[in-house]
Formats: sequence, C-alpha cells, structure tokens
Amino acid sequence: MTAVGMGTSRSDADAKVRGLAVYGVDYREAGMLHARLLRSPVPAGRIIRLDVTEARSSPGVHAVITAADAPEHRNGLVLLDTPFFADDMVLYEGEPIAMVVADTATQAQSAIETIELEIEELEPVSNVAEALAPGARLLHPDLDSYEILPGTAPWPKGGNCGGVMSSDPGDVDEAFEEADVIVEDVYTVPRQYQAYLEPKSATASYDGWRWTLNVSHQFPYKARSRVAQSLGVAESRIRVVGHHIGGGFGARLDLGIEHYAAIGASLTGRTVQLLNDREEDLLSCMSRENATIRVRSGLTNQGRIVAREFECLMDSGAYAGDTPYLTSIVLLMAGSVYRVGPTRVTAKSVYTNTAPSGAFRGVCGTYLCFALERHTDRLAQAIGMDRREFRMRNLFEPGDSMLNGQTLEDADILREAFDRVEDAAPWDKAGKGPLRGVGSAAVIWLTNPLAGSATLGIQEDGSLGVSTAATENGSGAVTMGLRQIAAAEFGLDADQVYVTSPDTDTQAYDAGSQGSRTTHVVGMAIEAAARQMKPRLFNIASGLLAVPPDDLELGGGRVSVRADPSRAVSLAEVARTALGAGGPLSATGTYSVPLPKWDPDSAEGLLFPVFPVPTYHVHQAEVEVDPDDGSVRVTRYVVAQEVGRMINPDGVYGQIQGGVAQGMGYALWEGLESHRGRYTRRTLESYGLPLAVDIPDVEVIILEHPCEAGPFGAKGVAEPPIVPVAAAIANAVSDATGADVTSLPIDPEELLAAIDRLQEG
Amino acid sequence: MTQELSMEVNGIRRTVEVAGDEVLLDTLRDRLYLTGTKRGCDEGECGACTVIVDGAPVHSCIFPALAAEGAEVRTVEGLAGSAGRLNPLQRAFVDQAAVQCGFCTPGFLMTLTALLETNSSASDCEVDDAIAGNICRCTGYTAIRAAVRSLVREGGA
Repeated sequence: MTAVGMGTSRSDADAKVRGLAVYGVDYREAGMLHARLLRSPVPAGRIIRLDVTEARSSPGVHAVITAADAPEHRNGLVLLDTPFFADDMVLYEGEPIAMVVADTATQAQSAIETIELEIEELEPVSNVAEALAPGARLLHPDLDSYEILPGTAPWPKGGNCGGVMSSDPGDVDEAFEEADVIVEDVYTVPRQYQAYLEPKSATASYDGWRWTLNVSHQFPYKARSRVAQSLGVAESRIRVVGHHIGGGFGARLDLGIEHYAAIGASLTGRTVQLLNDREEDLLSCMSRENATIRVRSGLTNQGRIVAREFECLMDSGAYAGDTPYLTSIVLLMAGSVYRVGPTRVTAKSVYTNTAPSGAFRGVCGTYLCFALERHTDRLAQAIGMDRREFRMRNLFEPGDSMLNGQTLEDADILREAFDRVEDAAPWDKAGKGPLRGVGSAAVIWLTNPLAGSATLGIQEDGSLGVSTAATENGSGAVTMGLRQIAAAEFGLDADQVYVTSPDTDTQAYDAGSQGSRTTHVVGMAIEAAARQMKPRLFNIASGLLAVPPDDLELGGGRVSVRADPSRAVSLAEVARTALGAGGPLSATGTYSVPLPKWDPDSAEGLLFPVFPVPTYHVHQAEVEVDPDDGSVRVTRYVVAQEVGRMINPDGVYGQIQGGVAQGMGYALWEGLESHRGRYTRRTLESYGLPLAVDIPDVEVIILEHPCEAGPFGAKGVAEPPIVPVAAAIANAVSDATGADVTSLPIDPEELLAAIDRLQEG
Repeated sequence: MTQELSMEVNGIRRTVEVAGDEVLLDTLRDRLYLTGTKRGCDEGECGACTVIVDGAPVHSCIFPALAAEGAEVRTVEGLAGSAGRLNPLQRAFVDQAAVQCGFCTPGFLMTLTALLETNSSASDCEVDDAIAGNICRCTGYTAIRAAVRSLVREGGA
C-alpha cells in the first residue's frame, strides 16, 4: 500500500523518458492545415493599409483572416480590452494583425510575407513613467466604455491605468511623526519570461456547431471560456482537450493563441494547427510584469516599525490581463511577515506599448518580497541593528493581521521557520569572508482556493481511475500527489491508480494548475468522492461476505473482515458485483476553499482580497562575488517551507529546487528589458536562463502543520519556493559588497563599483 | 526541391525525400513521426532537440538533414531495450524524479547517453559541462545530476 509521505514515481514519467508523451505541439490529425500569424513589427502605430489580396491567392492558402473576418467585440481575463486582431491601432510589437491558413506552415509563412501592411508609426508609450506623465497619449481612449467580466465588482481605473487598488487607514501621517528614523527606497524589476520549453500551440477543429481544441493548457476551463468569449459564443460550444504540458509556470493560464486556431477551423471547415516559433513566443508571451516599487518606513531607534507608505506601479503592457487582480496582492504583502504599523498602499496597473504581461509563478510576490526584504535590511542598518535581530523583533505573532484584516492564528510558524534555518546554517557564522555575504527573506503565501472536482471509479479489475480536469503541468501534483491521495484513501498502491488527462466535455470544472491549488483542492475533491463511494462499496462487500459493513476494512486491494482478515473479497469482485447491483462504483467529489474573513473596507479595488490556506517560508542565501567580473555564485541556499503535510517528498523537493532555480535566474541573469517598446533580448540564448552549472543543490527543511481542511493535511506547495529567492540573494549580495542592489537582475557592474569603493575605503 | 536522404534511424534503414534546407529535427518529427525529439528554440540553445548522429550528440534543430546521409541516428525512441524495457539511464530518470514536465527530457537523455558511452564514471562537474547545452526549466537540475550519479555509483550505464 502506498502511504502519504512516501516517494512514488510519477505515472507520466515512463512515457516521457520514452519520448512517447504527446504534448500540444506533437498532436496531429490527418489532413490538418497549418496557420501562421502576421504580427505587428512595431510597438505603436495606426494601420493605414492591410492588403491580403496576393496572400489569398498564394499556393496552398485556404484562408486569410483579419479583423474584418473576426468578431468586433473585445475580450479579456477581467477587463475586456483586447481586440481579436488589431484593426485600427497596434499597441505592441508582436500583436496579431492577420492569420493565414494553408496546407503547410511554409506556405502559410510565404503567404504572410506577401501581405501589404502599412503602419503609421507612433512614438511608443514605452514605460510606466511615460504612461503616467501629464498629457500622455492614452492607449485605450475608450477605457471607460469597456465591459468587465460578469460577476466582478467594478474597480477604479482610468487614464492609462487598467486598475488601481488603494488603501489608507487614515492615521499614517500621524504614525510617521513617532518615528526616529525614516527610510525610503525605490526598487525596479524587469519582466521575467516563463521560458517553458514547449512553445505555445493550439489545434482546433469545428463540426458546424462546436469547436474542439487540442492544447497544452494549465487551465482548460479558462481556455474554454476565453475562446468562447473571444468568438462571442456560449462556453458549452467549446470543447478543450488537454495534452502533456511542456512547462507553463503561469503562462498557460489565460488565453494564448487558441482562439486563432479556432477561427481558422470554423472559417475553413478543417482542422487547423497554429504553433508559435520561439521568437514570437518570447515577444508575445504574457511574462511577469516589470514594476517600480517605492517603500517608505518610519522606525524607532529601538527597532520598531511604526508607519509605512508603499506604492507599486505594474506595467501591464498593452492590455490589462491579470494585473487588475495582482494589484490586490500588494496590499496582502506590504504589511505582512513583520509588524509595520499603519500603512498606506497604492498599486496601479499601467498600460504601455509593450506585450501584455501576465502570470508567472509567484506573480508580483517575487518582486514585492524583493523590495520589502531589501528594505527590511536597510531599516536594520539605519539603526545599526543586526538584520536577523531586527526581523525577530518585528516578526508576526499568532493573531496578527495583514493589511486586509485577515488574521493569521498560526503565524508562529514563521518563527519556527527562522529557528530551523538558524539550526541548519547559523546566521552569525554564515557568509563570512571577503566578498561573501548572507541574506534572508521570509514570505507568507496562499493556496489558490478556486473550485475543482474529481470522479473516482473502481474498475472491474480492481484498479482505481481518477478522472479530473486538473492539469499536470509537470509539478507532479496530478501524477504523484492526486494518485497518492486516492491510493491512500482506498488502501491501494499508487500503481493501481491511474489519472486521466483533461477534457472539458467529460469532466467537471477545475480551475487549473495555479497557486499551488491542485493537490490541496482536488485532493479534497477526491476525499469527498471517496466519502460518497465507500458506503456503497462496503454494502456490496457486506452482501458478498455476509458480514455487517461496520465490521469490514479496506486495504491491499481487498475488503476484509476486521476480526478475520482471511475472509475477504477483492475490489475487482466488488466492482463487478456493483454493475448488477445499482451500477458502477463511481462518485464525483467537488471542493472549493472557504475564504478566510477579511475587512472589505480595508481597500478600494480589492479584487483578490485574501490569502486562503496561508503557508510560511524562510529562505537564507550565502553568496560569493567574483572581484574580477562581478558575477555572483550562490554557495549555500537553505529553504524552510511549511507544507501542511507532505504527500510526496519527491514532488515537494522537486518543486522547491526548481522554484529556487527560477528565482536565482530572476535574481541574477534573466530579464526582458525593453527600449522604446522593443525587447532587447529576443532569443532564448540571449535571455540568460540558468544552466546546471549555475544552480547549487538547495537544502530543504520541511515544516508540517497539517491543515484541518486539507487532504491528509496538505496545503499548497509548488508556487511559493520562487517568491523569496531574489530577496534573499540580493540581501546576501549587498552584505558581501555594500552595493545597494535596488534592481534586478543584479548588475555585475554595480557590484564591481561597490567592490572598488570597499577597497578604497 | 527535395532530395533523397538515406540514414539509419534507431537501427532501421530509412529513406525519405527532404527539402534542401531542411533540418534533421523536421525530418524526424514531420516525415518520420518521431515526435519524441522536441523543438524548443530553433537556435541550438535549449538542447531539447538533441539526437545522436554517429555517436556524437547534435542539436537537430540546426543540423542539416542532408548531413545525416549514411549516418546512424539515434533518438529517444530508440533508447529502450528489448521488449521495451527502459534502459538504465531512463530508469534512473524515473527513479530519481529527474522528470517534471518532461519536454527537455529526451534531449538530456541523448546528451547523457553520449557522455556515459565515452565516460561511464563522469563526475558531477563533467556532467554539468556535458549538459551545458541542455536547459531544464522545471527541476533546477539536482535530480538530473542525481540520476547520473546513481548510475555512476552503480558502475556505469
């Protein structure tokens, strides 16, 4: 029997090491057509001529589709600001303008090249400062008339801001008067590209009424609703079938290019496949937004933070995407982990002529933590206090509240996490030596609460099938975690449990692999299904064994008599008997996480108001900086993470190591900087992803505080390991060199200059 | 214009018509339907397309198909042994949790197969050097290193 807490292999590993796993890009149908997009070559301008006559008669071309052939209304995740194809104005480099569908991709590309496109270029609104400057050109002059997602409360927006979240408790200025010292810092971060290895794709077919999409998407039900929304049809006319996902990290949660394949299919009556090449994928991907963060805190000489102002400007790019939600997270983090006194918070989502930004693991938490924890170091230094001592003095205690009014009764886990890191890597001995340093960072993170479901079926061979629209994005949440939870519920080996891939026609709603929710939410749904099924299972076994149900137990693939385990029936026999006794042993469970209480008056524009099922994290980095080139080597990295209950150690450790590696990339090398609306690094090679040689083995300390409402006590695990990494490394690098480190990726030139100052000093 | 290309792929003689400027990756994926070899970047950076040509690992996304004329080509589909048993390296990837999304996995397996065939006692540093042309975005590489280490400890692949 497979127990919770044991390592088990993922059920998809075998197919993946054989090269037999079918990803979105591998899916094919006989006779399918191939599409290519014409994307805007400029970041801002007005289309004055678009002539597709020659493309229409090019060899192999079945259709050329432009805004004239597409729905006129706008679509969007929460703010409906995005046209199907750019029509009059183009708002970012890479924005789709037309699509050619042809027998081959080569023919489609050749036809694209015959399209006559004339754009009157405009000076791009290339950054947040320009967008917010008085008299700035508005990217969306009709913003006030845009619709919002039905069921969403309206939020403040206007000008070049797609969303504004603000909170002012009213006593902040008075509180600042109590301060002995005031420290103000400004931090800037670039975009980070998810750089999943499988470029985006979509394959669509149409039967005259319904569309079928074959995709690798983290959230098939969102793909369904967004394709339906962009086509202007009912959701139930769209079927989304999910295949293996070659990495997502948040980039496959919203609509990608699925709607283009769909319209290609309905206009040609053929199956159409659309594949991004890497350059267009990078240029158009909804990457983690760049941002500027200003934080000002007042503190006493004794080391107490008494007041704070916090402002975050997020660059949403040309369309708002998820940023109207993300502004809320600024409130949830600006006064968390450490007690900070009355705090005023403003967060704005700002339009610029760059590609729309979007979700990447940890979303804005990564840079908010960077800003907050760099600032925390600076506060300690401002009063000459040891940085760890300062943290311990201000650390949350049980019952403390975040700025949204959400109370954390278990916040003492933070102190436990700091203590456990201290046991492993004592602060006073860490990062010693020339050009060496140590830094730490802590964060409170959420488990995404959105709904999920699972259908269990005991098969006639005694195995257990788990059917769910939850997606296996690579984390192992489905192929390890859910299988293991189901196995443990029924006393089976994980090998006797199989999981299906998602299909919105056959499985109920699931909110996708986001915010570490799959194991927690769908695990709860599996437990709910098991609770439904077990009474019937025991009743049938009771009939077969002539023993009351209460005297039976489940385990080892059998139902046996508790007092005499030699008397037993196999699950296979129970399942076969069930067919003639009311029908198959099948049950569906559903779940969504109850939201914790918060204060709805704590802020305006709070679309994402709470951190459900919070988890606690402390990271500590030790670094060495090379005096010749300013490069940073991470010499030791310790993570203490609270997980509720560990279902599968291979999965948990794998997520922590992988998340830390992505965080190291963000801290030290990666970044999509843009100049006048154009990304300057445009290939995977120049982008600077970490290689094996760059990433040390992370030391992991797991804290378990089982969650009452969690499958076997499990909380979310996979998202947060990326969140504190840049903060911890930046603090260590500043400790090593004396550099301010106010921007990412950490600039070797800045470090060399700081080293020069050290040597001169 | 197409030309005839003859090569041995995973032990089977294959003759296909290919375009003059075609890369080996397209031949494998689109003409021979060996989709285990992945396209990640089209510039020889990510390594997902790695296959072995006459014993050496190559990035098939920038390797001219016609350069494989007469060559012995091995892809991930050819790694499993008789009766479909996983080979020791594949087994180690499964057992050491070196697979997450798995899109990079075929490339890593081919690069490491070529390494271990020439150096069955590769050190961690030699492994890191060998896989400098392969990117994994999921695992942070630790489990991949552990998979190789488990083989080296057991006395070679």
